Amino acid sequence: MTTSLESTFPLEVATARSRFPIHVAVFLTPALLIYSVFSIYPLVDTIRLSLYASDQTGAQHFVGLVNFQTLLTDPAWSVHFWNALRNNLIFFAIHMVVQNGIGLGLAMLLSLPRLTGGNIYRTLIFLPTMLSVVIIGFVWQLILNPLWGIAPNLLKAVGLGSLFGPWLGQESTALITISLISVWQFVGIPMMLIYAALINIPDDLLDAATVDGAGPFSIFWFVRLPLILPTLGVVSILTFVANFNAFDLIYAVKGALAGPNFSTDILGTFFYRTFFGYQLQVGSPTMGATVATAMLIIILMGVLIYLFGVQRRLQRQMF
Amino acid sequence: MADVSLHGLAKSFGPVDILRDINLTVDDGEFVVFVGPSGCGKSTLLRIIAGLEPVSTGEIRIGGRRVNELPPADRKIAMVFQSYALYPHMSVYKNMAFGLKFAKTDKAEVDRRVRQAAEILKLSALLDRKPRELSGGQRQRVAIGRAIVRNPSVFLFDEPLSNLDAALRVNTRIEIAKLHQELGATMIYVTHDQVEAMTLASKIVVLNHGRIEQIGAPLDLYRRPCNLFVAGFIGSPRMNFIKGEVQAVSGRRLSLRFAGAEIDIEYLGTALKVGDSVTIGVRPEHMAEPGNGTIALDGQVDAVERLGEASYVYMKLETGDDVIVRASGDVEVATGSRYTAHLAPKTIHVFDASGCSIQVEVRPVEGF
Amino acid sequence: MNRPIRPSRILVHLALILYTVIALGPILLILLNAFKTRRAIFADPLGFPDARTFTTIGFDQVFAKSDFGLYFLNSLTVTVVSLGLIVLIGAMAAWALTEYRFRGNTIIGLYLAIGIMVPIRLGSVSILRMMVELNLVNTLTALILVYVAQGLPLAVLILGEFIQQIPRELRDAARCDGVSEYRIFGSIILPLIQPAIATVAVFTMVPIWNDLWFPLILSPGDGKQTITLGVQQFIGQYVTDWNAVLASLTLAIAPILVLYLLFSRYLVRGLTAGAVK
Repeated sequence: MTTSLESTFPLEVATARSRFPIHVAVFLTPALLIYSVFSIYPLVDTIRLSLYASDQTGAQHFVGLVNFQTLLTDPAWSVHFWNALRNNLIFFAIHMVVQNGIGLGLAMLLSLPRLTGGNIYRTLIFLPTMLSVVIIGFVWQLILNPLWGIAPNLLKAVGLGSLFGPWLGQESTALITISLISVWQFVGIPMMLIYAALINIPDDLLDAATVDGAGPFSIFWFVRLPLILPTLGVVSILTFVANFNAFDLIYAVKGALAGPNFSTDILGTFFYRTFFGYQLQVGSPTMGATVATAMLIIILMGVLIYLFGVQRRLQRQMF
Repeated sequence: MADVSLHGLAKSFGPVDILRDINLTVDDGEFVVFVGPSGCGKSTLLRIIAGLEPVSTGEIRIGGRRVNELPPADRKIAMVFQSYALYPHMSVYKNMAFGLKFAKTDKAEVDRRVRQAAEILKLSALLDRKPRELSGGQRQRVAIGRAIVRNPSVFLFDEPLSNLDAALRVNTRIEIAKLHQELGATMIYVTHDQVEAMTLASKIVVLNHGRIEQIGAPLDLYRRPCNLFVAGFIGSPRMNFIKGEVQAVSGRRLSLRFAGAEIDIEYLGTALKVGDSVTIGVRPEHMAEPGNGTIALDGQVDAVERLGEASYVYMKLETGDDVIVRASGDVEVATGSRYTAHLAPKTIHVFDASGCSIQVEVRPVEGF
Repeated sequence: MNRPIRPSRILVHLALILYTVIALGPILLILLNAFKTRRAIFADPLGFPDARTFTTIGFDQVFAKSDFGLYFLNSLTVTVVSLGLIVLIGAMAAWALTEYRFRGNTIIGLYLAIGIMVPIRLGSVSILRMMVELNLVNTLTALILVYVAQGLPLAVLILGEFIQQIPRELRDAARCDGVSEYRIFGSIILPLIQPAIATVAVFTMVPIWNDLWFPLILSPGDGKQTITLGVQQFIGQYVTDWNAVLASLTLAIAPILVLYLLFSRYLVRGLTAGAVK
């Protein structure tokens, strides 16, 4: 790459698209190097590894798509995989409906004109998102612990004592309970994003709708909702990626086995077990890589559906 | 069509008075312009008439009916916003039809009205476009079209031209004037631009600090401003103000001394006594030509602006007062030289120490 | 203005207060009980600690049985060093990508964008292998490298948008004065992007501080645990000692709580400024 001092002058900078000045390389290299080595290469290498298998000696050899076939059809693997995928979908569905629903509702309330204390509410409601998922997991484990008795006593106080059960311990309720704990922690994120979108809508527009005769419900349905759809799209894809990549909460609360009886097992915990092994089963890097690649494909499908199916139709409106 | 009247209107946010004791009648078919500096309360007044802001006290009547308690949609008004406030996710057609949806208008009628309005505003070819695909002027017309289809008794305009560039502003101003002719509807228009006010209004309402300073026809305000604020606000360049003093009073005749000159004028006969200070106002165009009985004022030229058809001579009088003279386009004068302004006593305005004109009677405002 | 308080507003506040209580209640409950005797924890979980029930026995145990100070320092080191590197390296890349037009500009931008959507966690198998080969397992360096790689893409995006808003005239004026590109970056751009650093910090610091995954697989022992992992391991070990569990949770929560309440204004502003586009 030939370059000279002159290339740093404004005229050159504007026109030198064809050349690659050395200072650009200097600015870019550290970022590209670290990012390529510790992010992109591992991802690509993981995909490569998913096409290999190791034998008893530890040597790895190419096996094509056999690992995926094993994962999807061999009962020793597929039962767990499909179970984790199904649980993950439930986990995601609960987030979409409850977390984003409550987030939307709170954002609507917070964006009311001249609301006193809005800033305080926002700050406090957002607080749990700052804490580690692990800490939150333990906090709720204690609160829901029948030994301590806080949850049953509070329920009794409002006359719902009979509803209490060891929610985290029962196969039928553990996944829902864990999902709701996660919802509780992360409601602040959709709330903030939607709130920001709502207050970005100019007041004039809402006034115009009022003059046009639209009531509060019509204004929400015909004006505000269509205008925040792109943000709802962003919130959905962020929720999707985060949920299909989740691990910490379930590991902290239920351990790598995601009990009881794998009822809280999602792809993240399944990946961890596959990679590191558990109890009698030894870990397998290649099968771990296969699960990771499967997760990668699922996340990419979600992202692609968003980019090409959703985002294109939801053009961001300029005001 | 309808008239609008405001009685004893006041509005405050907490301890801050935004509007005080507003009394005003807008006749059916009239084009009234609210004008004043920013923060004078003119936009708030418009929003109150629209029903977008509640009033603290007072009554609003549209078409003789008290509307204080009615929501905007039931007041038979339509509003054009400064930002146009077009719904960015709807086509031009839908933007215009949106309000009719809530008025339970049937589809064929909606279509007829939208197309008719589009025809008037030359928007027919753009009906399927989204607002972002339109130019500023086109968006402006859509905003007006949205008002027209509602077939309102009163049109409310909130600084509708301030987002347009200068050339387009002049064009659109003329379009709005034409529209008023065609529709014959009552229009209330808010602006801070006195040129818009002068050219569009059949009646101007000058607001300052939440009060009405003066109401009148454009030329009436220009010729007979009732106080210093109106005198200074209407007219460009601004009226010249020169300090003066009362020399002698005899009945309705008054002798004044200012800038080294002395003149006699007739006045309303209010309580002025010898020695009171007054402010003399003279418009720049009344200071150039020597003529019968004109008073000559000498001074030094600070700057000359040549506009072609006229030249503005910025000068400092012997007494230290700064004045602007609108002289002919080819006047021979240079910066730093001496210049003599000529002032006809008949054209001067005189204001007392409180800023009120001593020549123009402040009529009690209509309606009371 | 004598605006009557509308009943609907009271309902709005009730709803918001209710949700705020739901959001904060569990955390306050932990903080409250960490300072109570075991008996009081169970007898009166909602009560404030008083002279009779106050104790710091839980904290004593935590400090006696684990290395909380060290874990905290580990977390602090990893987070601060990662953030510093992300901001510096990210700003350099963002500057290069927004300021200069060169072949490959767009492609590099897209290449970096992959990292925003695809979680680096999925490459863990290879990352661990690589760290083993580099002899970096159980070191803070391993964590820092991974976190920098993880945080860079979003930082480049946010900083790039911010750098674009810096008036062109500023840089052109400097160029006319013959200032080198490096100096322009160092003495004009870096000082000017300070407001954006707050936003970058929100999106990178919090996930790093709170992460369990990478500490778990890359540095699970040797006194290189981060606070999150340390708490997780400690609680796993002393799960029946309520005082110790509550105290360890409080120790993990308190610093974040203080920092958050101190800086929440910047943080909330960063979030609502539309950084995520």
